[in-house]
Amino acid sequence: MNNPELQHMVAGFEHQAFGSQAVFRTALTALSHPGRIQTMPLDTALPQQGHASAAALLLGLLDADTTLWLSPQLARSDAAAWLRFHTGCQFVAGAETAQFLWVALGDELPALDQLTTGSDTYPDQSATCVVEVSSLHTDGAGWTLQGPGIQGQSRLQVAGLPADFATQWAHNHASFPRGVDVFLSTPTQLLGLPRTTRILSTLEA
Amino acid sequence: MLQKFDSGLPPHPGAERSARQTWMAQLARAPQELLSQALAKHLAEQFKDEPQWLRRPETGLMMVQGRAGGSGERFNLGEVTITRCALRLKHGGATSPVGVAYVLGRKHRQAQWAAMADALLQDPAQHAPLEASLLAPLRQYLQTQLSQRQQRARSTQVDFLTVAREAGGADDEESANP
Repeated sequence: MNNPELQHMVAGFEHQAFGSQAVFRTALTALSHPGRIQTMPLDTALPQQGHASAAALLLGLLDADTTLWLSPQLARSDAAAWLRFHTGCQFVAGAETAQFLWVALGDELPALDQLTTGSDTYPDQSATCVVEVSSLHTDGAGWTLQGPGIQGQSRLQVAGLPADFATQWAHNHASFPRGVDVFLSTPTQLLGLPRTTRILSTLEA
Repeated sequence: MLQKFDSGLPPHPGAERSARQTWMAQLARAPQELLSQALAKHLAEQFKDEPQWLRRPETGLMMVQGRAGGSGERFNLGEVTITRCALRLKHGGATSPVGVAYVLGRKHRQAQWAAMADALLQDPAQHAPLEASLLAPLRQYLQTQLSQRQQRARSTQVDFLTVAREAGGADDEESANP
């Protein structure tokens, strides 16, 4: 790490243990209840670029053994140096080899079927995508979600995902037990979309 | 190894040792009392607050590499316990210099003092007084330690020339001893 980056570095969790545990708890709840919006506890200083909830999530999840791919906007920003300093994670240039991905709002989401999906023996060795979106709503029009963790059905309306996301997700769901898991984030919210969740229909408002 | 480090030579050929690298290397080997006494008045005046931590002191292992004979192939010498931290003193807000310290051992407080000293030394206004009150005594301390170590080593030195002369000398001396 060179000197100018360090001079503008901001701190990590206020309380290392409590902060990261609160983040982990939120991530766990988000994946246990897919399609339910969680509010991210933000007990941390933050880089300028990127959504706060996404930054805090990755700060809690990453360590020196994990690889991270950043979308172009983030790779150029102070968020990269910040994660590297506090977690020691390794950056990779190709999205297809990364264990974690962070896609900034406005950057292109890599095709889900190109990412690490694990194997039938080790489905846990798959990629986790943190995707920034402009808004999340659970009422009104949008997708109907179904799957483990959802009683009956639930509704979800997302703005800021590529148009063919539902199609890509259907393929991702079909390759179970392999597949990637996705977190959708707004600046303060987090929503889990594990590979077990099905998107039934896209009803435009 | 320490002698080479103290000589002020760059860590590897082609690299230039900056002033900050030099004082960080010295601070890393400063005893805690020397640091705290020299910094006490600077800190008491202005920075009573706890520093703003970027990385709280944490202890871990680091692989140390050596070279056979000082210039041979690199090899892993072994692991050492180190404590590191990074902080920013609160007086200057978000733009004040970041102090970093890596010290041998497990003394968190010592790492904190060393990092505080590093942060203060980067401040042009603080550099000159600290140079006099901290770095000069520190250099003297390290120099004393070095010469003491060299003296201890020298006391075990064997002068083979004397042995050779005696062995090659008159045989009657040898036969005189029982």
